[in-house]
Amino acid sequence: MHKLKKIIKSVRVIIFLVFLVLAILTIHPSFKSEGVAIRNVVTNSSASLAGIEKPMKTASPMNREKIISIDSKKIVTMLDYETIVKVLKPDQEVLVKTNKKSYKLKIKPIVNVTVLGETELVEVPKMTTVVETVNGTSVTKTIPEVKKITEVINHTKYIFGTNESYIEQEVVEKEVPVTELKEVNKTLTEIIGTEDIGLTVYQAPTSNIRKGLDLQGGTRVLLTPAKEISPEDMEILLANLDQRLNVYGISDVSIKDASDLSGNQYVVVEIAGANEDEVKELLAKQGKFDAKIGNETVFRGGTDVNFVCRSSDCAGIDPTQGCGKNGDMWYCRFMFSISISPEAAKKQADITGKLSIVPSESTDRYLNQTIDFYLDDQQVDSLNIGESLKGKPSTDIAISGSGSGISRQEAIFNSLENMKRLQTILITGSLPVKLNIVKTDSISPVLGKEFVKNAITIAIFSLVAVVIIIMIRYRKPIIATPMIIMMFSEIVLLMGVAALIGWNLDLAAIAGIIITIGTAVNDQVIITDETLRGERAQYHNWKDKIKNAFFIIMSAYFTLLVSMIPLLFAGAGLLKGFALTTIIGLSVGVFITRPAYAAIVEILLKE
Amino acid sequence: MSKKSRFKKFLRMQKEIETGQTEEQVAGEQRDSELQRTEEHSKSTVATAGKRTGIIGMLDYLFNKKYKVLMILPVALLLFAIISIGVQYATTGDFINRAVSLKGGTTLTIPVEKAVDLTKLKEVLLKEFPSKDFSVRAITSAGTQVGVMVETDIDATESAEIDKLIAAIGDEIGIELKKENYSLEGTGAALGSSFFKETIIALLVAFVLMGIVVFISFRVLIPSLAVILCVFSDIVVTLAIVNLMGMRVSTAGIAAFLMLIGYSVDTDILLSSRVLKRKEGSVMERAYGAMKTGITMTLTTLAATVIAMLLTESEVIKQIMTILFIGLVVDLIFTWIQNVGILRWYLEKKDKHA
Repeated sequence: MHKLKKIIKSVRVIIFLVFLVLAILTIHPSFKSEGVAIRNVVTNSSASLAGIEKPMKTASPMNREKIISIDSKKIVTMLDYETIVKVLKPDQEVLVKTNKKSYKLKIKPIVNVTVLGETELVEVPKMTTVVETVNGTSVTKTIPEVKKITEVINHTKYIFGTNESYIEQEVVEKEVPVTELKEVNKTLTEIIGTEDIGLTVYQAPTSNIRKGLDLQGGTRVLLTPAKEISPEDMEILLANLDQRLNVYGISDVSIKDASDLSGNQYVVVEIAGANEDEVKELLAKQGKFDAKIGNETVFRGGTDVNFVCRSSDCAGIDPTQGCGKNGDMWYCRFMFSISISPEAAKKQADITGKLSIVPSESTDRYLNQTIDFYLDDQQVDSLNIGESLKGKPSTDIAISGSGSGISRQEAIFNSLENMKRLQTILITGSLPVKLNIVKTDSISPVLGKEFVKNAITIAIFSLVAVVIIIMIRYRKPIIATPMIIMMFSEIVLLMGVAALIGWNLDLAAIAGIIITIGTAVNDQVIITDETLRGERAQYHNWKDKIKNAFFIIMSAYFTLLVSMIPLLFAGAGLLKGFALTTIIGLSVGVFITRPAYAAIVEILLKE
Repeated sequence: MSKKSRFKKFLRMQKEIETGQTEEQVAGEQRDSELQRTEEHSKSTVATAGKRTGIIGMLDYLFNKKYKVLMILPVALLLFAIISIGVQYATTGDFINRAVSLKGGTTLTIPVEKAVDLTKLKEVLLKEFPSKDFSVRAITSAGTQVGVMVETDIDATESAEIDKLIAAIGDEIGIELKKENYSLEGTGAALGSSFFKETIIALLVAFVLMGIVVFISFRVLIPSLAVILCVFSDIVVTLAIVNLMGMRVSTAGIAAFLMLIGYSVDTDILLSSRVLKRKEGSVMERAYGAMKTGITMTLTTLAATVIAMLLTESEVIKQIMTILFIGLVVDLIFTWIQNVGILRWYLEKKDKHA
């Protein structure tokens, strides 16, 4: 007992205990995982319209917002969430409760509008063209027409004290929209399904230790620029990629640049969660979008595009064309409108002004050149220019494209995906340089979960084996017990550091942890043996014994340290995690745990 | 203790190794030289006093009297390893078998519930892709097949080919392969070769830096060279064994070799500092003391690697553990036979000059 008190009072042990407690607090372990944490919120989905925000990338795992109930039904596992979400119906209102707030979601339907062969007369708002001056350029815009009308409202007023009344007239001027009867194609609007509420979720984490791709599944893509780029351009490239992925709807993404010993440049993109193949499409395309008339460029994607419509009233499957079957495949056309900058509109007016009108008998006449859309120097579409646009700057342009599939559903889905990609490219513009994919790793989340379970099993059995060997060698529990306790503490401390610096635990990091634990045990054996041996010979005093032990430990520490340094720079940073974990783990061990252990041994064995 | 005085003590320690004497040893010097004289006159009696006869007695005898003969074993092992690697290089143009991550290609890992006929799968794949190279392996954990790993030189960026491959494998195994239930690792050929060059350079640089640190720690030439030779032998012999086993080394494998440098050096530094710095007992007694500590250290790590090797479902961890296991067993030979032998020979030579 007296010795235990002495141990706790020793400075080195106190420092060690403080770090240990800090580590446990940082890890913040919880023993049950309840609820599903939100990984991503899709823009314009029911979830985002209800106010659910995208999680911050830097938020620690235990601080993430997680869904705990939907409509008072408790959610504990991913299965609970999926079962409830599967049976949601359009126009249903659900109450989603998270550990932070409650949200009311309105479920949106997936609508398909098909054009029937007949026409009908409907009252529609009349559109008129007005000319406005924006930034010194006169621009033509199409807006709904309004007219001013005066309305007379009769108010009945009573004279106080009598039964008489009079009527006061109020003249009010109002603006009302003008409607006209227009012949339009009869359409059939059918609800073909329920739109996904737009949340990507995963089982809520049980601690602050972040799992890398190998443990939770995901995609890692390694890209190199087609030609060497300057550090400034690399920064622009990374920011652009990040924006592109965010706009597309993926937020849990890590984009870093890396290099190797020969000076080659790489970009490492890691996306956690489910496998997302479309990402490769997004990353590999430089995204040069050019609209040209003849050889002259009218506008480019990115800066020339002010606004891209993504809501369902001006983006979606083209209602005038819909879907059709050609042979075995279904094809659908999508359409969305964009606004280009006034400068680009003026350029368009200049170019179209020089064109001539193609003579034709029908009422719709076109100019003699088409406006062609090129994506990465490949023509993707070509539109006729109506004669009304000749010489007139127009900022509203409709972009369309198509998608295909083996069924109508699949064709619609693929068309909408293609549309989303094109919208993203138009919003974010092109990358400074083309990227080539050189390596892809896609790890299934199921396998990742297996690894975690497997790793924990192995860790337990290994520790048991090591404990057995220590017990056999040293026999006395007073020697073996502190060693075993220190071993466990070492692991906890290392996990704490990992949680603190937000380090992603992947297989390489686990390898680093293995080295650290192995070295820790070795060092403890060295210290123990050094001090035990000395009991027999009386030549050296205590300080010398510990000194001898630490000489060996420090020499070994430095050799391992220098072995890890080359890995920090080689191989496109793929082994950097391993090297860093090992360096940090060894350092923590040598400077915090080992001295504490030496102090404990000294107090326990010194007579 | 201040940094300055700690550093001073460190310098003092190095001097002790050089001269073989500590400042406090003056008092006990006489007893030391007495012991040394006894040893010189009857080496075997000191060593065998109190030890059993029989096999252990014979080993003892070998260790003590015939240690120079015993050193033939590690030297022969090293020579054999070098020849083996040389032969591999002459026949395949590479001194190591490389996995996909180091030479380019695609690896598909599919977990399975029931065992898959590997040879049949390989046949089917070769028929479908006659010009490509395939390696089909089972991933086992605790003796049962838990997965199948298909390695091929099909470029991962040719998605049409990859889709065909996945469909072919799925048909043969009888599982519908969707993104959730398999893992894919694809490396371009140029990148693979570049990674290989990089990791080998990293390994060499680490080795050189390690040598420098060892030399700074000990300051004497022969013992430092002995440590470096031991680490070198460990790596070369492990590499030869890994090649003979047909194991394909990935980036994780190279990392394992780096880990091996660290563990190797640990036991050697322990041995050398104990043998060179202490003066009580004969060289062999000090060596035996170091052996007790060193073998415990190696055994604990060996136990952990064996368990991990047998139970893990991850090919990466399995490769790391296998390389470590082989390396540590080899280290036992090189540290406790070769290094001990060199140190003994060195100290005896020094005594003769003294």
